[in-house]
Amino acid sequence: MAETIIETNGLTRSYGDICALKPLDLQVPEGEWLSVMGHSGSGKSTLMNLVGGLDRPSDGSLRVGGEDLLALSEDGLARFRREFVGIIFQQHHLIPYLTAVENVMMAQYFHSVPDEAEARTALERVGLGHRLKNRPGELSGGEQQRVCIARAIINSPKLLLGDEPTGNLDNKSTIMVMELLKELRAEERFTVIMVTHNQEVAAWGDRTIYLDDGVLVREERMNS
Amino acid sequence: MLLLAVLAMASSLATALGIVSSSMEKRVAEEVRKYGANLVIIPESARLDVGSGGLNFGVVSEPSYLQQKQVEEALVKSALKAEVSFHLRGALQLKDADIMVEGVNFSDIRRLFPWWQLKGNWPAAGETIVGSDLASRMKLKVGDIVELAGSNNKIPLRVSGIVASGGEEDGLLFMALPELQRALGLDGQLTLVRLMVTAGGDSLKKSASALQMLLPAAKVNEVRQTARTSEGLLAKVKLLMLMVTAVVLVSAGSSVAGTMSTTVLERGKEIGLMKAMGGTRWEVMLIFCGEAAMLGVLGGLAGYVFGSVIAQFITKTVFSASADFIPWFAGISLGVSLFLALLGSIGPMISVFRLDPVRSLRGE
Repeated sequence: MAETIIETNGLTRSYGDICALKPLDLQVPEGEWLSVMGHSGSGKSTLMNLVGGLDRPSDGSLRVGGEDLLALSEDGLARFRREFVGIIFQQHHLIPYLTAVENVMMAQYFHSVPDEAEARTALERVGLGHRLKNRPGELSGGEQQRVCIARAIINSPKLLLGDEPTGNLDNKSTIMVMELLKELRAEERFTVIMVTHNQEVAAWGDRTIYLDDGVLVREERMNS
Repeated sequence: MLLLAVLAMASSLATALGIVSSSMEKRVAEEVRKYGANLVIIPESARLDVGSGGLNFGVVSEPSYLQQKQVEEALVKSALKAEVSFHLRGALQLKDADIMVEGVNFSDIRRLFPWWQLKGNWPAAGETIVGSDLASRMKLKVGDIVELAGSNNKIPLRVSGIVASGGEEDGLLFMALPELQRALGLDGQLTLVRLMVTAGGDSLKKSASALQMLLPAAKVNEVRQTARTSEGLLAKVKLLMLMVTAVVLVSAGSSVAGTMSTTVLERGKEIGLMKAMGGTRWEVMLIFCGEAAMLGVLGGLAGYVFGSVIAQFITKTVFSASADFIPWFAGISLGVSLFLALLGSIGPMISVFRLDPVRSLRGE
């Protein structure tokens, strides 16, 4: 039985009068690929931000990798993110004036020391060995997302968060990205939390939870 | 780029005004020098007719002398930055008539009285120059040999030039100081010391007081008209330059703050990303401070180059002179640019510090 990497009890997030995430109890075993589905405003991104240490809960408890995130200071949360988490964004959020390899090295800069050889290897692993010196504007959407994946895995995170990582991609690129993530997960054995609208993308995971208006309404285990 | 341009513009203006101010100071000092000495030392008991360029400071009534050695020692002790000329005035006979003769060092005279108009040449050994009034009265011309008679000796001198100053000097005959001291039997004695002190304002008064303390048997006087002209002009020029520089720096500072704020807003997502990747608030803020400092350095260097060019242009068109190349102004330019870059970044840096990564990544 795998150890629990994420454990929430009564986890709540409110913005003024609006409750984006209502008391949520959730356990995620280490190495699991959890897909989070729901409509816009259902609280899935809120959950991802809380688990990734990007936001603080209004109430409840949240332990990730044995760390009580509520007890951490702002800088403590930043250190948690750099050591523990890799994030893949829907909008990629690559820095436009840096090359692909420099974008990857930026994640190394905050984690430890930038190492170009290591960053090149990461880009080669995601199939971008020939696009190292290209800037984001010179890459397709799928290629940009692969740079984003290389940046997310460069520091060997224990937890990989994906915020609709295929939301802006066509079907072919979506399948390419998902296969890549599956391969990397098999090699690196990180836990994945993937927020998505797409049922087919969610099906790549081990388990899917459904949120509606901030409440966990359904849970489904996938057959691998 | 805009920020760099603003910083370069501000530091170039500060540099240009600084260089112009410095060049002006030098130029004014040179102009003032044309008015001659701004301090004179006379013996305490003497009432000597002392003048320069038509200005009179006293009247001789009884012979009294300064000791040259004492004056020299006092000048060394006071560490005064000044050009000095020693004078001894006395009467000698020429063609059976008494004439006033002044013993001087001609090299000092040439420096202190650049407006004297000389027909002929400055004297070498055994030569003299004669004031224009005296020359016409005694019918002397360049090349004549004059024989001056003292109490017990005769001095033959060749007239090398006729000098016209428009002042009392036109009635005098000038010869080498040691020769006149010997002729009058007044070795090492002087009737007047003129000083062109290269300082204005209070420092001229302080210099006069300091010298007075060291020479209690003498009287140290400021040549007020000249001093006031130089003091007033320099002070006004400096004040004007300071005020213009202050206005430029305040406007540039506001501009830097505005531009930095815009930059932070534009780069909000980048800042959010850095924080999301694990950059602490201090680390991210330091990156932006480092960028501001780097822009400050580049702006300062560019500002020094442009400022020097602008200063050259201003001094050439306004003062018909060339500005000095002042390397240490590079430091001032760098300092101004860095100061503005960092000062203007304080507000935006606080925004960087506080920026919420989730909201900024959403583009809010």
